[in-house]
Amino acid sequence: MAHIPTAGRRARWRGAVYTVPLLVFLLALFVAPLVRLLQLSLRPVDGNNAALPGYTGHQYVRVLTEPFFYEALVRTIVTAALVTVLCVVLAYPAAYALARRRPGLVRTLLFVVVLSPLLTSVVVRSYGWVVLLGANGPVNRTLVGIGVLDQPAHLLTSYSAVVVSVTHVLLPFAIVPLTTALGGLDRDVLRASRILGAGPVRTFARVTVPLSLPGALSGALVVFALAMGIYITPLLVGGANQPLAGIRVYDQISTVFDFPVAAALSFVLLLITVLCTTGLGAAFRTWERRLHG
Amino acid sequence: MADTRRPETRPAGPRPTPVPRRRFPADRAASLAGRLLAALVFLFLVAPLVVLVVSSFNPAASVAFPPHGFSTRWYEQVLGSRDWLVSFQLSGLLVLLVVPTVAVIGTLAAYGLARGSFPGRGALHALALSPLMAPEIITALGLLYYFQGIGLIDSVPALWLAHSLIALPYAVRAVMVSAAGLDPALERAAASLGASDVRVLLTVTLPLLRPGILAGALLAAVTSLGEVAVTALVAGAHTTTVPLRVFSSAQFELDPSVAAVSSLLMLASVVVMVVADRFAKISEVL
Repeated sequence: MAHIPTAGRRARWRGAVYTVPLLVFLLALFVAPLVRLLQLSLRPVDGNNAALPGYTGHQYVRVLTEPFFYEALVRTIVTAALVTVLCVVLAYPAAYALARRRPGLVRTLLFVVVLSPLLTSVVVRSYGWVVLLGANGPVNRTLVGIGVLDQPAHLLTSYSAVVVSVTHVLLPFAIVPLTTALGGLDRDVLRASRILGAGPVRTFARVTVPLSLPGALSGALVVFALAMGIYITPLLVGGANQPLAGIRVYDQISTVFDFPVAAALSFVLLLITVLCTTGLGAAFRTWERRLHG
Repeated sequence: MADTRRPETRPAGPRPTPVPRRRFPADRAASLAGRLLAALVFLFLVAPLVVLVVSSFNPAASVAFPPHGFSTRWYEQVLGSRDWLVSFQLSGLLVLLVVPTVAVIGTLAAYGLARGSFPGRGALHALALSPLMAPEIITALGLLYYFQGIGLIDSVPALWLAHSLIALPYAVRAVMVSAAGLDPALERAAASLGASDVRVLLTVTLPLLRPGILAGALLAAVTSLGEVAVTALVAGAHTTTVPLRVFSSAQFELDPSVAAVSSLLMLASVVVMVVADRFAKISEVL
């Protein structure tokens, strides 16, 4: 009798042994760099923006009081929220169509289409938008052709181009979990709603959406977190002057060489991201509990 | 599809539900509207990629859509360029280094996380997925400063480690899906029939985890092939990967050769995906 719990405990700890390489890897390459970066963000700088020994909260004061930084942070939060809403809204029809398709060639092809942004480089996707939205691009030609514009507009380097391309880049992260959630939906429940007199729109709003909420939520959280820190896509499509936190950090490193303030800005960004995703997750869970009683 | 719409044409036999599936005319309109919306979203997803591929065959020296003819001169120029070839070799080398690293660490960790119930398991799981959720700029800046401190900037090991870090969460998640569906009774049965631990691992556990491992390896490969956010800060003049070269070219000029390289990069990813999909139902695990 005595050796059975021992064996169980040993089996449990054997599971832990398998995770040791991962733990070592992450401690060395993820946790340690972040700790060093946190240390750097607390360093004072000299006239050439080189870090000096000692500790100060000056970099954080700069991030929170200089409009150059805090306005970018506000803009980043607004953009990330907007992109998240767009992604979830756009994900519904696509995920619904995917979930209802029976396995076959068409479904595989649609899946490739959905995953194609995930499977191609961010650069490739962003560059596609650069071509699409360029002065000679199809969007401008169409707008001029049908008489909406007199001459090609500067779609690139405009904020809306950034929102569109970031939404495009992150959309698969919303579609994939939503497809799983919608695929697990009991069709008889939907039919029951229809037979009991609810129209298709009402059935969708009152039955489909609430039941697929966990999938939509997990997609939304990933999209929001990724949108907060994204910088390559907005940089390529919108240029280095876009007031977004990620671009500001990149700018501080690559042109001003002020590492401490870049580190402070990215930690504020990380903190906001963690607070928002935790808060959003908690709010959704409360809503869900109320919905399902 | 036809059989869901016209159930009366189905062959006779026991039918679980005698009620026809679609009795409401409004459903047809709603379904049509839904399909139209879905088609628009799919179009939105592929539009930039299609435009890119098409414009890479444009004979003119500027990127234009629709193109004014058909030419493969940009592909010839890219494949004949030393700079691009060096980048292609580097990206290929990195895939060969990153995929085994991520597959081994990710598979072991996912198996341990799915199977064990040790204290700290939840925290470790969260930590394993955190590189995916942290803003990419902070991971990039952290690695840049860290690698600067140990003199690894602009080296192949730096990119190898950085790409592995970015790809690990995807692999852990994919293998965990497979590991969660693994019945421990099968391993116990093999062990009780006299198989050694190693033999159980090689003949029972690993084959059952194969779809997840393959999906994880695939995601690691395409992540490494496309990574820019961290690479842009950690790499240097001697370690310019293909997407990084695309990034720096696209930042300044619109040259169709960049479109050609992007198309080649995309082709590589699609080939990897199609090959992997033949061995495992990748789409089920993503």
